[in-house]
Amino acid sequence: MNWSNVRLIFQREVRDQLRDRRTLFMIAVLPVVLYPMLGMSMFQVAQFVREQATKVLVVGEWRTPDEPALFEENHFAGRWYDKPSNSRLLELDFLPEDKLAEGEANVEAQRAGWRQAIDQGRYDAVLVFPPDFAEKLTELRKTLDGERPKELEKIRRINIPKPEILYSSTSEKSQITEDRIEAVLGRWNAEMGRENLALGHLPENVAQPFVPKREDLAVEGHRDARLWSTVLPFLLLIWALTGAFYPAVDICAGEKERGTLETLLCSPAERIEIVWGKLLTVMLFSMTTAVLNLISMGMTGSFVLSQLPKFGPPPPLAPIWLLVALVPVSAMFSALCLALAAFARSSKEGQYYLMPLVLVTLPLVMLPMAPGVDLNLGNSLIPVTGIVLLLRAMLEGNYQQALIFGPPVIVVTLACCLLAIRWAVDQFNSESVLFRESERFDLKLWLRQLMNDREDTPTVAGAFFCGVLILLIRFFMGFALPQPNSFGELARLTVVTQLVVVATPALLMAIMLTRSVRKTLLLRLPAGGSLASSLVSLVAAVLLAFCVFPAVGWFGVLVEQLYPLSPAVKESLDGMLKGTPDLLTLILVMAVAPAICEELAFRGFMLSGFRHMGHKWRAIVLSSLFFGVTHAIFQQSIVTFFIGMVIGYVAVQTSSLFPCMLYHVTHNSLTVLTSRVNDATLADYPALNYLLAKSPDGTGMMCNWQITLVAGAAAVVLFLWFRQLPYAKSPEEALQEAIEQHASHAPT
Amino acid sequence: MIHADHLHKEYADLRRGKLVALGDVSFSANAGEIFGLLGPNGAGKTTALRIISTMLRPSSGMVTVNGYDVVTQPSEVRHQIGFVSVNTGVYDRMTAWEMVEYFGRLFRLKEDLLRERMESLFTRLKMNDIRDVLGAKMSTGMKQKVSVARALVHDPPVLIFDEATNGLDVLAARALLETVAELRSNGKCVIFSTHIMREAEKLCDRIAIMHRGHILTCGTLNELRATHPDDDLEELFFHLISEHDAEFPETVAS
Repeated sequence: MNWSNVRLIFQREVRDQLRDRRTLFMIAVLPVVLYPMLGMSMFQVAQFVREQATKVLVVGEWRTPDEPALFEENHFAGRWYDKPSNSRLLELDFLPEDKLAEGEANVEAQRAGWRQAIDQGRYDAVLVFPPDFAEKLTELRKTLDGERPKELEKIRRINIPKPEILYSSTSEKSQITEDRIEAVLGRWNAEMGRENLALGHLPENVAQPFVPKREDLAVEGHRDARLWSTVLPFLLLIWALTGAFYPAVDICAGEKERGTLETLLCSPAERIEIVWGKLLTVMLFSMTTAVLNLISMGMTGSFVLSQLPKFGPPPPLAPIWLLVALVPVSAMFSALCLALAAFARSSKEGQYYLMPLVLVTLPLVMLPMAPGVDLNLGNSLIPVTGIVLLLRAMLEGNYQQALIFGPPVIVVTLACCLLAIRWAVDQFNSESVLFRESERFDLKLWLRQLMNDREDTPTVAGAFFCGVLILLIRFFMGFALPQPNSFGELARLTVVTQLVVVATPALLMAIMLTRSVRKTLLLRLPAGGSLASSLVSLVAAVLLAFCVFPAVGWFGVLVEQLYPLSPAVKESLDGMLKGTPDLLTLILVMAVAPAICEELAFRGFMLSGFRHMGHKWRAIVLSSLFFGVTHAIFQQSIVTFFIGMVIGYVAVQTSSLFPCMLYHVTHNSLTVLTSRVNDATLADYPALNYLLAKSPDGTGMMCNWQITLVAGAAAVVLFLWFRQLPYAKSPEEALQEAIEQHASHAPT
Repeated sequence: MIHADHLHKEYADLRRGKLVALGDVSFSANAGEIFGLLGPNGAGKTTALRIISTMLRPSSGMVTVNGYDVVTQPSEVRHQIGFVSVNTGVYDRMTAWEMVEYFGRLFRLKEDLLRERMESLFTRLKMNDIRDVLGAKMSTGMKQKVSVARALVHDPPVLIFDEATNGLDVLAARALLETVAELRSNGKCVIFSTHIMREAEKLCDRIAIMHRGHILTCGTLNELRATHPDDDLEELFFHLISEHDAEFPETVAS
């Protein structure tokens, strides 16, 4: 890569963007203006909602006792508020006694009238004192009076009717009014309670023996940091994404639209140089947008929060941590936006892709806000979420925690960055993306052509379609089919699912969309062709399954420790194998059926299709991703993804599905066999003690570490053996290899 | 200079399925020659030129430009060509001077040489009055001049003009054609694609008539005229196309 070309493209793009008023508005003007405006509006809205007086219709104020007096002139008495001046916040209208008497002939109609008054906004709430309210309260006080003997039974029988507050929770104003009335009545009620205790010659602590003493140990700075550590990372990520998107659309889709991309593509700049030049531009604008937004928001926020006694400014080191985190975050979002924007035919189409990107990103940004989500190893491995949690820890001053989990977050974020950049480069290398033309889609015509123009093996789109179809059918079948309660039901469900959901779509698509089912599904002898070499490949696949199995077990344990299975899922998994019949049936259901069906779909149809992309590892990863996701439990998906990678490699190197099926059968059989081993088995077969050990949670068996190490070394040897096999390349892989070979030999 | 050998290109088209844009196309163009690609819209001219300029890869076949293979040596090929396209490819927010300078720097021209070339090109193409005009404020004719200057700044041996006179007024088109003729006299190999008969007749040394991804005939103007009784290129063009459509109706339907 020639960095001087990258610099030239970067400089041009930056200058171009700075001459664009829309970009300038988005990155500079909007953040500077937005937050002060928002702050001002929030103040005004808060003033409007909180400080505005609300109206209450009081029904039966004459039914309240004289002492302690609830009302004072036309308001609730000032002493029932936390500040007496707040008494103006509730404007009271009193329903005259004669009007109430008229209405009491039809209570329902009267209440409907009050409801209508609230709905129409004439009143925000209606406070109704029931008949005999004052009388009953007086009776209670008289009974308690110290002059008389205590008549507990009589006191217990005095049933004081309850005042009613009518309001509507659909109106915020009405809800606030209800809160205010309840606070007033609460204080009035407490005062009456105190007076009653005094009348009964009882001290106050009879009713309330203790009031817990609260002490907030949070250091003042840390308490402020808590708020800022939630808000700032969220804003950082959202603005980094938004700031990346608009320039990306302009310099990719916009350039396509204006016809300038073609000019650039036939200049000496390589595609990767073009991508890097554009990527750095998008990154610069993404970072600038985020920084300007944070500065503006920080200044406005500091000012607004300084009005509140409990909050202070952001932690002093916050700008440093935010800037450090901003670089990888911007790089990742910029590359994603660039790849998406490259796909769009026009700026308008590019804008449509913003929403899906936000919808995918937002849950990852919001996840850390959920209660109980803290920085741990599991969460640190989740893209975006990990970096938000790490930032939070840094802003809160938890440096020790950040130091422990920082490395995995950095590794995951950098890996995501690289993948996103790679995707962007691929987009720029794809003719179908760069020269995509607007065309009306005719399904009937397209399907007819799809059948007529079949190739020997499926297309990349066909492989994607197959994967998505399997996932969708599996998802909906999960709802339609009942949960298995016994092994018999589980066996039927497994076999039917494998046949209907996994194998059938792949087989049908292979028959309908390809010219050679045999070539597509790799139904041929392993590489080499001769019977002897085929047998060697088959044996090697079985041996590889044996050798990789111990490591897979340990990997499963690691995954479960990072992302523990919920007790319900664990119970349901354990319960599935209860009432299991003989071992052979179990192996047929759990090993043989999945091995045949899943291999046909994932290493057969999908892998063959994905190999048209020109990179065998990319095809292996994609087919393994679908293989992993098809296993519904997240923890299981991670493990099966890696198993899929191993089997995918075997499929590519041997050009045959039979070693893959054998590998799959062997692996699943070993899983089944290990799950059957318990203390009694170990006692019956003491030799097993040399191979197996209890899993860390003590619920199952797995290979001990000595066996795992030895098997791992053997697996490496077997991988090297598979590596030297002369595998059959797809035409695209052969072309890619020729280009790469030429590039590596070309004089610089 | 340019040798296209059994060039084949097909696309996957959402609406029409597999679409053959070029089917077994072979031709060659030499230095000091204007080779015309004449054909109606959709004939495959732009696809062929995009393959030559390394923007697209052929599905099969081979193209070399000045001895370099377009698939395995794309970078070397791009140094040999200057490409002027129908949509001018001028940046809206760059001035004429900045744009030509930008491409000169991408071709890694030395600063002195670049200045000298630019001064000479701006004078030769009568562009001095639009030096500091932004692309967005230029007329189509001005834009095409900038595009030509941009394609010539590194003095490539091969120049490709893809329907470059489209949308130009008579004066601008004539000026462009004069520039193309001048390039031939300077020993450049020029591929000139057009659907305008008069341009091809006036300018091209050899002409290939393309239709639906195939070269129907190829030769000098006199050779082509000799094959048709009317001695008229337009008549020959219509005759060849009707003949081809009658012979291969299925390609017409696609």
